[in-house]
Amino acid sequence: MRCSLLVIGGGLSGLAAAIRAARFHPDVLLVEKHSRLGGLNSYFYRNDTLFETGLHAITNHAAAGDRKAPLNRLLRQLKLQRGDFSFCQQLGSEIRFLGQASLLFSNDPEVLFAEVRAQFPESWARFQRLLSLVADYDPFTPAPFRSARATLGEVLDNPLLTEMILCPLMYYGSSRADDIDLGQFVIMFRSLFLEGLFRPAGSIKDILEVLAGQLRALGGTIRTNCAVHELLTAGDHVIGAQIGKGERVECDRVISTVGHRETLRLLGRSENAACEPTARLSFVENIFQHQPWPEWQSLPKRTIIFFNRGERFSFHSPQSQGVDFTSGVICFPSHFEGMPGRSLDELRTTHLASYGYWKALAGTPGRYLDEKRQTARKSAQTLADLFGSFPANIVYEDTFTPVTIERYTGKIDGAIYGSPVKFPDGRFGCDNCFLAGTDQGFLGIVGSMLSGVSMVNQHILPRL
Amino acid sequence: MTSEDIKEVIIAIIKDIDEEADFDGLDADKPLRDQLELDSMDFLDIVMELRKRYKLQIPEQDYPQLATLNSCVAYLQPLLQDA
Repeated sequence: MRCSLLVIGGGLSGLAAAIRAARFHPDVLLVEKHSRLGGLNSYFYRNDTLFETGLHAITNHAAAGDRKAPLNRLLRQLKLQRGDFSFCQQLGSEIRFLGQASLLFSNDPEVLFAEVRAQFPESWARFQRLLSLVADYDPFTPAPFRSARATLGEVLDNPLLTEMILCPLMYYGSSRADDIDLGQFVIMFRSLFLEGLFRPAGSIKDILEVLAGQLRALGGTIRTNCAVHELLTAGDHVIGAQIGKGERVECDRVISTVGHRETLRLLGRSENAACEPTARLSFVENIFQHQPWPEWQSLPKRTIIFFNRGERFSFHSPQSQGVDFTSGVICFPSHFEGMPGRSLDELRTTHLASYGYWKALAGTPGRYLDEKRQTARKSAQTLADLFGSFPANIVYEDTFTPVTIERYTGKIDGAIYGSPVKFPDGRFGCDNCFLAGTDQGFLGIVGSMLSGVSMVNQHILPRL
Repeated sequence: MTSEDIKEVIIAIIKDIDEEADFDGLDADKPLRDQLELDSMDFLDIVMELRKRYKLQIPEQDYPQLATLNSCVAYLQPLLQDA
């Protein structure tokens, strides 16, 4: 078997890369090792319900007519219409540092600006300087790592405001412990605070089906349950791959979305983890499905709450415990405008976690399962502390540990944001194989899809 | 192809990229990108469509020659004379 372009990984970046290439050259093969597409953003069924694996909210909301907005550029590149999807915008979200301050934000950036002005009046002028920096900075020209924490420290000169601004941006897009690259910060600031959050009215499955349908319509081929075992090379040139059940495919070019070290493994090259400047970040995700909980009806409806209970906000995987409950993200998937009603409600929580701790536990299934249940209980207690109560009528709950994420996605250490070092131009030492997605560096659903598109534009289309 | 044919081809390709593109008052000597708000990604689509439709291989270093409608005509006419 042979193909012109082999795309490894059927997540959002792989699907976008494959569609983009197939628009002009249908000889594209996309392989996904799992039985379902989606990668980090897939779905599963339990308790007669479709649950999303990773989706809280999609960043980069844009009005339909805004041609330059990343979301609309992406749709044009993939030849998709806004009408192919049904999007719901967030009701409004919150950054809550307990005992310190709270900032609301929504898809109208003025909401955040007014909050900063009201609660940090002494820093308002400096915050405006930050806005100018975000407007003027070019984050897409590859540059060496520059600390956003240090830059914000200087620009804002207000440690609490600095941490409150960093908290959501790190949780939704930093692969680096306790800091975020300034370019990535600028991208995330625009994506979350200036553009905003939305989600499909149905589920991520709807988006995946539109993408898979588009790829097939353009003549591309999708193979699920089809892992790549080995990339076959001649020098720095990939000539093919060993895939599926002992099949060999020859290809002219490869886009790999599975990660930098993960791709080196496929190439049989040594991977040097020590090259990564900080440990990878791992998380746990809890899902609670519950019957309506009247005690929360008087609470303001938030879409996402990024909270911190510590004196300072720290963003690294815990050393001596499985999960750090000091901070986290709470997501209410029904709290988007126009979401169709459901009889059962869902809420999700995310906390930083230790991959090593969970990996060691996984050897003893009984203890591992027990610890998962404990994690759900402690996360629930954290919410009870925040909201005064927690739904007593949970009908289904599940916890994904870093080990779960590693098992289903193949991400080393279950690190959803991948390597702390990124490869902005997709090059990593092969002349016809390029990285896209997580380790190229554009994160989030819109970001990872733009990553797939731009790597194909840069490396594949001009040479086809 | 005549120069008018080539202009029509380019406009048809751009319409295909962006249904809402507004060609009223388009100046054939000014950059298409500025007038039609095309970004570099959209621009690549013009090159790729020309390749798909007319089997034209346009090298990357020649992309600047497609900047305006008139420069497109000047660059493409010799290549498309038999099309």
